[in-house]
Amino acid sequence: MTTPEQAVLWAALLCGAGAIATLIPRSKRLSGGIAFLFMGVAGLLVWWAVARVLMNGPGEPETFVAYPAWGFALRLHVDGLSAVFLALVATVSPAAVFFSIRYLDHHSGYGPRRFYPYLLGFIGAMVAIVSTTDTMYFFFIFWQMMTLTSYALVRFEHRRPENVRAANQYLLMMQAACALTMLGALLLAPAGPVASAGGEPVMRFDFEALALQMPMLLREQRGVVTAALLLFLVGFGIKLGIWPFGQFWLPDAHPAAPSPVSALLSGVMIKTGIYGLIRYFLWLLPEHTGDDYPVAGWGAAMVVLGGITLFVGTMQALRQEQAKRLLAYSSMGQAGYLLFGLGVCLVLLPSAHPAAPSLAALALVGVLFHTLNHGLFKSLLFLGAGSVQRATGTLDLNRLGGLLARMPWTGAAALVAALAISGVPLLNGFASKWCLFVSAIAGGRCAPYLPWAGAVAILTSAVTLACFVKWYGMIFLARSHRRVPGAGADRLSIESPWTMRLPLLLLAAACVALGLWPALALDFVCQSLQESWQALGSGLGRAQPWAAAGITGIMMADGSAAYLPLALAAILAPLVIGAILLSRMGASARRAVSPWLCGYVREANEHRLQARHYYGEIHRHFRWLGGAPPPQPQPDAASGSEALPGSNPPPAPPDCSRP
Amino acid sequence: MSGHLHEILARGLLQAGAVLLAAPLAEGVMRKITAVLQSRQGPPVIQPYYDLLKLMGKEDLECGESPWMQRLAGWLALVAPLSVAALWPGIGGQGPAAGDAILLVYLLTLGGVATLLAGLAAGSTYSLLGISREMMTMMVLEPLLAIALLVAACHADSLQLADLFGGAIYGRSGHSGSGLLMLGVLVFAFQAMVSRRPFDMTEAESEIMEGPLMEYSGPKLALLQWARMARLVVSSALMVALFWPGGAQLGFPWAALVFAAKTAAVILAVTVIAATHVRYRVDQAIRYFGGMLLAGLAALGLACFGF
Repeated sequence: MTTPEQAVLWAALLCGAGAIATLIPRSKRLSGGIAFLFMGVAGLLVWWAVARVLMNGPGEPETFVAYPAWGFALRLHVDGLSAVFLALVATVSPAAVFFSIRYLDHHSGYGPRRFYPYLLGFIGAMVAIVSTTDTMYFFFIFWQMMTLTSYALVRFEHRRPENVRAANQYLLMMQAACALTMLGALLLAPAGPVASAGGEPVMRFDFEALALQMPMLLREQRGVVTAALLLFLVGFGIKLGIWPFGQFWLPDAHPAAPSPVSALLSGVMIKTGIYGLIRYFLWLLPEHTGDDYPVAGWGAAMVVLGGITLFVGTMQALRQEQAKRLLAYSSMGQAGYLLFGLGVCLVLLPSAHPAAPSLAALALVGVLFHTLNHGLFKSLLFLGAGSVQRATGTLDLNRLGGLLARMPWTGAAALVAALAISGVPLLNGFASKWCLFVSAIAGGRCAPYLPWAGAVAILTSAVTLACFVKWYGMIFLARSHRRVPGAGADRLSIESPWTMRLPLLLLAAACVALGLWPALALDFVCQSLQESWQALGSGLGRAQPWAAAGITGIMMADGSAAYLPLALAAILAPLVIGAILLSRMGASARRAVSPWLCGYVREANEHRLQARHYYGEIHRHFRWLGGAPPPQPQPDAASGSEALPGSNPPPAPPDCSRP
Repeated sequence: MSGHLHEILARGLLQAGAVLLAAPLAEGVMRKITAVLQSRQGPPVIQPYYDLLKLMGKEDLECGESPWMQRLAGWLALVAPLSVAALWPGIGGQGPAAGDAILLVYLLTLGGVATLLAGLAAGSTYSLLGISREMMTMMVLEPLLAIALLVAACHADSLQLADLFGGAIYGRSGHSGSGLLMLGVLVFAFQAMVSRRPFDMTEAESEIMEGPLMEYSGPKLALLQWARMARLVVSSALMVALFWPGGAQLGFPWAALVFAAKTAAVILAVTVIAATHVRYRVDQAIRYFGGMLLAGLAALGLACFGF
């Protein structure tokens, strides 16, 4: 029987084979089809590995290639934590590849050979990096594979100088992150191979060797441990996009890449940062480290850094005027929630309070749940932005609008994602934020400052809502800009082909399903982690993080907080039906009219509310946070009359003679 | 807890229905008092019922490019405050509910989201100006209520609404500093929370002509106005539940009556202030709310450390 490790290795190799196979055809669609074929099989293999871990618990690590003389071994281990991240990769990647098949059409002048091989290599490297136990050589190899392929994808449209600049920045930051984390591993590694718990010799840079070395280091060279943990925090923090490192690369790199790649960068790749942090902080430090080493101090640092990241990232997103740039800043904000949650977990872990282990476990489970959720809705938002770009040729929020009537399916899917990320109840974003908030607020029993930090996170949630009201409203609602194809003409559809709609709709369905049934995702996360707990996290394994409430709902273990989505849905459904009946009661006739502008002028592009006009007062007070949007190219600034076929007539000059 | 599902549903719908029916009456009383304060006779107290009934039959003009979104926004607007009412743990009761304080905060926000969607779907410049203001107000005000609930949660060591209501915010001593500070903050911010003068920047009849509601007529306008009335009742009831304990031990009919009377008193105070003050400009208001927010965070800081 194939072990999960073998399945994952096969999946990564299949991605590699697909990368080579897609080098051959010239046709974009054929190339895309082949890529999806390979990706689909690889995705199934990865899901199979995840299912095995879920049912049988994690197996033993497996060594595939070894050169003991160089301390070099390809040793893979799929445990519960890896399984959660593998599930994310195997869900989002096939959707993104399937979306690419038709999406790539509009990048005229850029061939598929510069796209699919890198895309598949990128996905294969992500699968491998969350499964390897080598912290040095293979970590370096997979990290470089992931970085170089995504570098090539970010500079896919290489004729635009800003994309090349963004890609170079990205490459530089990723290399810095790679060097820092490897330096950290070097500090902690023993001098030579050691015998593992099972008696099998492991190489000096293997994760297990590092863990075995740890108790000795904690006794004798505490400074080295602290330095290494700091290196890990910064290194993986760069990847995760935390403040202030994320600001150097993330907002430029994510919008520069083609949309399916942005979806993978934001939805999956930056999550390898939180994977690394969880792995190194919870799986590496031995159990009871908290008794004499300030683990809670590291947690507090993460709470503070996470709090700053989520506030600053989201506030900067609020200012953006380009659809994908706004999403990129918001990804930093959401990464802040992940770091915040991990911080809460580390703060609570060493506490002696009886409720602490259960709350710490809830925080970590919340982080993993939010990781999955963010992967779902953020990739959906990026893919939606890609559909919009393909249909209208622009991502400038000032030059879109009214697309819901023209792209109803894309618009509906994007609405689900925008509401989910804003934390509207009954969607998945609310459920995972609920876990994070509850653990922070109830954590006040053990660390009094946590509820305060939780309040900042709740406050930022309103800012997230504001971001996505602006994003969704300016693209899909409001009134269409004169240059939107089909503006003026009645309901001219510019909807994407079904191959681009299907992945969006499936992701949206996943958001709704996990929102109505959060217990399902929590069960998945807990079940995968159940037998993977070791080291510092062992305490979490014994805790009961949550209890089932209602049929699909979640409740804090001691019952002092609960969320029952089915009960809420059961209340909302009759209320909505009642509201519909009320509005139909008078049998009033509907009539379509144009908006009323006080009767003096007709509607024109010149009166449109521009992106920078939203939330002016807030920007004025938070200008010092930075993140000003770069100037947008204005192709029609000089030639205002250059209109697309079927667009509105030029606006009538305002009639000033009347009072 | 699954056995309680029907209980949650039945009590929730009952409470939602009560708010739905009572909200226009509250509005009618407000109008009457405002008229008296301004030396006018004013309409009869049940006039809002007639108004809503009349609007239900009027022609429904849809100016948006996506009329479906306009309809959805209207329904959602009315449902949001009613769902908050449905979440209530009962007057002084310990009944099960569909969620806790965090859900309550997000459901309160949902009403704002519906207004925003309504304004965006209509899409005229005035509507968009209105929703930009509404969102700014929400960004500073919604957290205040969340912070008040968190202060109570810190004292009660629970997030279940049944534990938070009835004076938990004043702590075990009954007069905690954080609770009193929060009371002060919310008294000064409450007018804005129910978007009445002097903080009705979102609608601002004389300035941007009802903002997000400008393009609405007929049944949709009826739903949006009804929602506004319901929001006033629900928010006032929330103030009472959090900050004005007492009377819950009186037993079934009396406890509810006392609660209703206290809620009416809050609405009365809102009316008097609204009738005697002029509107702030949006920049003045945001600065004012910012101060409130900082005071609220300070109160939460106090509560975290047990004061």
